[in-house]
Amino acid sequence: MKKNLYLFITLVLTFFLTACNNGQESSGSSSVNQDDSPEKVELTFWAFGSTGYDELIEEYESMNEHVAITLQNAALADHHDSLFTTISAGSGAPDITMIELGFIEQYKEVPDRFYNLFDFGAKDIKDSFLDWKWDVGEIVDEDYLIGLPTDIGPTAMVYRTDVFEEAGLPSDPEQAAKLFETWEDFRKQAKIITESTGKPVTDSVTQLYNALRDQAPEQYFNTDNELIIESSPYIKEAYDYTVTLVADGVVGDIAAWTPEWGTAMDEGSFATLLAPSWMLGVVKGNAPDASGMWSIMTLPEGAGNWGGSYLAIPSQSEHPEEAYKFMEWLTSSENQLKSFESMGLFPSTPETYEQPGFLEYSDEYFGGINTAEIYAEAAEQVKSVYLGPNHSIANNEIIVALDNVLNEGGDPEKEWEDAIKRMKAQLDRQ
Amino acid sequence: MKRIKSIKEKKKDSLYGYAFISPFFILFSIFGLFPIIFSFYLSFQRWNGLGEMEFVGLRNFELVLADPFFWKAMYNTFVIALMSTLPQLIIAFLLAFALNSTYVKMKGFFRVSFFLPNVTSIVAVAVVFGTLFTNSSTGLVNSFIGLFGFEPVNWGTSEWGVKWAISAMIFWRWVGYNTIIYLAGLQSISQDLYEAAKIDGASVRQQIMHITIPMMKPVIIFTVFISTIGSLQLFTEPLVFIGTTLREEGVTVVLYLYREAFSNNAFGTASATAVILFFVIIVMSVTNLLIANRLGNSRKKVS
Repeated sequence: MKKNLYLFITLVLTFFLTACNNGQESSGSSSVNQDDSPEKVELTFWAFGSTGYDELIEEYESMNEHVAITLQNAALADHHDSLFTTISAGSGAPDITMIELGFIEQYKEVPDRFYNLFDFGAKDIKDSFLDWKWDVGEIVDEDYLIGLPTDIGPTAMVYRTDVFEEAGLPSDPEQAAKLFETWEDFRKQAKIITESTGKPVTDSVTQLYNALRDQAPEQYFNTDNELIIESSPYIKEAYDYTVTLVADGVVGDIAAWTPEWGTAMDEGSFATLLAPSWMLGVVKGNAPDASGMWSIMTLPEGAGNWGGSYLAIPSQSEHPEEAYKFMEWLTSSENQLKSFESMGLFPSTPETYEQPGFLEYSDEYFGGINTAEIYAEAAEQVKSVYLGPNHSIANNEIIVALDNVLNEGGDPEKEWEDAIKRMKAQLDRQ
Repeated sequence: MKRIKSIKEKKKDSLYGYAFISPFFILFSIFGLFPIIFSFYLSFQRWNGLGEMEFVGLRNFELVLADPFFWKAMYNTFVIALMSTLPQLIIAFLLAFALNSTYVKMKGFFRVSFFLPNVTSIVAVAVVFGTLFTNSSTGLVNSFIGLFGFEPVNWGTSEWGVKWAISAMIFWRWVGYNTIIYLAGLQSISQDLYEAAKIDGASVRQQIMHITIPMMKPVIIFTVFISTIGSLQLFTEPLVFIGTTLREEGVTVVLYLYREAFSNNAFGTASATAVILFFVIIVMSVTNLLIANRLGNSRKKVS
């Protein structure tokens, strides 16, 4: 019996070892290929969403014949799940990866998992990017750059011209913007809109709150990752303003990314929508027949940022120099203009905003307005803000509190205190 | 006469035997055994998935057990389990009985249509139900109950709305599965028994009470088992239905675990939750088994 057991174990082991061997062989043979005179380099590049990077890769490959780049595209969540797994496991990560804003903080906690891009000369190009965007990719105390900026998501506000007209407000963007200069104005017009049309001014508490939150110079945490919302006024102000509008009865209850939300966009069931630059594509996709019904203006009292990405090189990569060269090329102001023109990725390089292709841009769907210019203006107004690795934990609780106020008739002050209690309980165990 | 095999040949035979069964064990040890053992190991560590692990003893268990949100998740799990399992099994039994009777025509059609929900993708089901059960008063379910004069319900955010919506989803998806299992059980009962009972003058009710139910006991126990364990592991339906804010009304134990691991990156407490759930399931299964045995024993005494 015992002998049989040994046999079984040996068998299992052989199976494993052969499997491992196979893996090594295949990677070994590819390194043999690299002996050709101009050393060939194969890079893998993980991206998510519609980036249009495949065309740029072709262009880069034709200029640099020794480089072959394989682009693997996935959905946002899948992409970040795979990335987390491969980084955590220490193998299988690509040479270059895109990281969305909401996911980069956790990697800044473990910088050794990524190359320091300053080692390849990233300091020289720092000035060509927007400061607030650049800061997020850098661990300031350690002089360590994890992520090179790609696109950004400066925020503006799109609105339904037909709903505005029904409410007796001017639908022309320039005139309308004069009525929405401050959040107090916003509240005043919101009441007019809801009273005369019966439609909410905005789709949901989340979106309204996000618009205000993202204008603040500090949010939930300070740079030591301490929860500051009890002493810092900004988040509380955003919360208070949101619940005031809920009490006014002007906030809708249509959760973002649901089929209902898409229909509401198409039918114009709410008046305004917080819209980072990439949201324009979402509006067009959800409301293809509403061309000319939507227009755009800047948000009251400045702009925020929602989304956008970075490029990073996991320390597992064997060709960091080549990877960096490509990244630097890809994020240059000329190529960011190309990504903007093809897929609407909004550039993080202010130089791009001066280029003719950008200045002459106009969007038929939004009444022929140069939407790019509005977002460029917004992008310059965004303040540098520290989010911290626990941002989503804190944010989630505030959203729950706001939902409770809207739907369950919760008392705003009590909900706020409960939310802080839940946050602290969760943060204690991090 | 069969030739007696030499020891060497016997060994060879068993070697082939092990080789043939090895794929399962190899795959199981990679994808089943290793993660289970690793979870136990992780439950004593503090780990964010990327940095260094730190041994913290029983701290994770203390944190989880002291967390009111964990108990809320536990409560939700049992409430939803009860709300979905009990009506589901009763109705499945009735449906199976109807399908097994001689009065119903087109049995194949009904069997397939009852079973169909079970093979649809859970995510698709949850998305569709999410559209049916919306907060807005124009949502399909809210308009429907409006016809009977009820106020619209906040299906997405209220304590009972969320639970009913999730239970409805589970009910719709699993009732057909249990119907088919019951139907198979009913069909395996020999007609002789019924005939004998009829000759002895047994009424239909007596036939059900003294033939059908006792004969179905193992099948009923099986479905109760599977449904109980299934509801304790409830995950995808509430996740897709309540979305990533993971409001507490719909958070089940597995969802709590998921939230710990994948939105809060606290893999230690997540693993501790998994270990706790493991023991809860063991306790539930043993209780189930004891109750089932007790039922069987008392029946024997009576008859």
